[in-house]
Amino acid sequence: MQGFALYPFDPPGDVAALRAELRAWLAVNQPQGDIVARANCWASFDADFSRALGAAGYVGMTLPKQYGGGDRHPLERYVVIEELLAAGAPVGAHWIADRQTGPLILRYGSEDQRQRYLPGIAKGELYACIGLSEPGAGSDLAAVRTTARETAEGWRINGQKIWTTGAHFSHIMLALVRTEEGSERNAGLSQLLIDLDTPGITIRPIIDMAGNHDFNEVFFDDVLVPHGTLVGMRGQGWQQVTAELGLERSGPERYLSSQALLAALIDAAGAEPDPAVAVLIGELTAEMWTLRQLSMSTAAKLAAGEDPMVEASVVKELGNAFEQDMPRRVQAIVDCPWGDPGDLGRLLRALLIASPSFSLRGGTREVIRGIIARGLGLR
Amino acid sequence: MSAAREMLCDTARAVFAEAATAGIAPVEEAGFALLLVPEGDGGFGGDWGDVNAVLQIAGVAVPDLPVAALIAGEALQPAAIVSLMAGAMGKALALSIEHVNTRQQFGRPLGKFQAVQQSLAVIACEVRAVEAAAAALAARLDAVELDAAAADFEIAAAKLRANRAVGVVTAIAHQVHGAIGFTAEYELNRVTIPLMRWRGEHGNDAYWAAKLGRQVAGFGGRGLWEALTAR
Repeated sequence: MQGFALYPFDPPGDVAALRAELRAWLAVNQPQGDIVARANCWASFDADFSRALGAAGYVGMTLPKQYGGGDRHPLERYVVIEELLAAGAPVGAHWIADRQTGPLILRYGSEDQRQRYLPGIAKGELYACIGLSEPGAGSDLAAVRTTARETAEGWRINGQKIWTTGAHFSHIMLALVRTEEGSERNAGLSQLLIDLDTPGITIRPIIDMAGNHDFNEVFFDDVLVPHGTLVGMRGQGWQQVTAELGLERSGPERYLSSQALLAALIDAAGAEPDPAVAVLIGELTAEMWTLRQLSMSTAAKLAAGEDPMVEASVVKELGNAFEQDMPRRVQAIVDCPWGDPGDLGRLLRALLIASPSFSLRGGTREVIRGIIARGLGLR
Repeated sequence: MSAAREMLCDTARAVFAEAATAGIAPVEEAGFALLLVPEGDGGFGGDWGDVNAVLQIAGVAVPDLPVAALIAGEALQPAAIVSLMAGAMGKALALSIEHVNTRQQFGRPLGKFQAVQQSLAVIACEVRAVEAAAAALAARLDAVELDAAAADFEIAAAKLRANRAVGVVTAIAHQVHGAIGFTAEYELNRVTIPLMRWRGEHGNDAYWAAKLGRQVAGFGGRGLWEALTAR
């Protein structure tokens, strides 16, 4: 980490025109549903919206044209993503497939896998989930115990995944499994791309404290999948997953989850805000502006082919703290009863309840700080 | 960093090292007052990116000398202080890392304890945020040719963000240093005391937060995003 410069965020083409085009498209196509769905909107499922977004060319943007993608630059995709999140668009259905499964299949997948899955992803119709955590392997991911044994017919999978976001609506799971018998820790792991309608897979909901069905338990009972489901190199699962997490941690979703609340706060405050509210708006704005610079710089570094693992972790740590803090600070300043039926009150309540998850999903705060400490040379 | 800026930084390090004992005279003699003056007018023709780099070095080497006032006018002093603060915070982090990797207790370096690692990760995030704010502010100032009024949003956001980092950075840097960091002799106080001072100079938290908050209230909820992405 060096102090004088940001990695230049310089997408090709006319960025202002791209923003204008997307805003015009959203004005027509964004559902005018419940305001609460606009907060934390990358968890809001809307299949029709995802399909329309795909048809308009805003899903799978960076995938090659031959697989149905848009052949666009990663930073053009970044611009589109931040516009979608800032508008609170319901991007949850295709979110994981677009953000990481598609790029990972392109990078490590076989030609057959690319042809089979990427066009559906780019249409915004094929959804993916990530099979990482298990009951005994949360932050300690290397403790994964789900096994896949190679047989003459294919891979035979036994075990259990948990906290699997979107498994109940996804078509495929990219799972980290132990393919090498007797292997330990981060050796002997591989990634398999599993069709979730394969016999022997049971998906059970876990209802979260907000009452939502977002994550699941997924059981594998002697599940047989073809040999061709292996993604990338056998035994290289850990390295591939680590690369994937870079895509997952630094995006604008790490600081824009509470954006709808900030907008509602500003609107409720009016043009001549109460002094305490003005101070709060100023502090939140300064933080958001700073986070946006960090996130853009990290995205630019990632797009240039570098591995900004530490920078991505800084974005996630600061971004999560910001979006988690925001509802608490708003509640501390603004007089808003728990049952308030207005936009501000409903958003506030929803985000207060959702916010504990922000520093858990995608790596806990403690794990993320550990990665930063390693980057500082302490571990 | 460009070769020209690297040379500038090398010069700044050498000159400020001398100035640390000799006072402001070597800085004046080296011509730092001409950093922003156009080449056609006999100056260096530098931009705010150069100023940011130079002042980050000054913030560590000569925090008590009026280098910022020498280089930039009154309207740009809040921006200048952000760069001084970024430099000083970087130094506080570097000293902390060095200390916890060296100092042993309970039979191992302090840096091997998770509690200490987590604390240092927190300061590292704050320092990176302030560095990013300083760099983004520099980019804006250069885009608007150093018109402070046109960069009012960025000046407010960056100074406020830097101010808010001061408490966290100074507290943790001192905490991980233990008693040695509280001595007059050890160099940590040569960056932490200036940081405490700069937080209150050219606008404390309340000043910039109120100013920025009123500006953003004028934008409206959706307008904030449009303003952010238009700049």
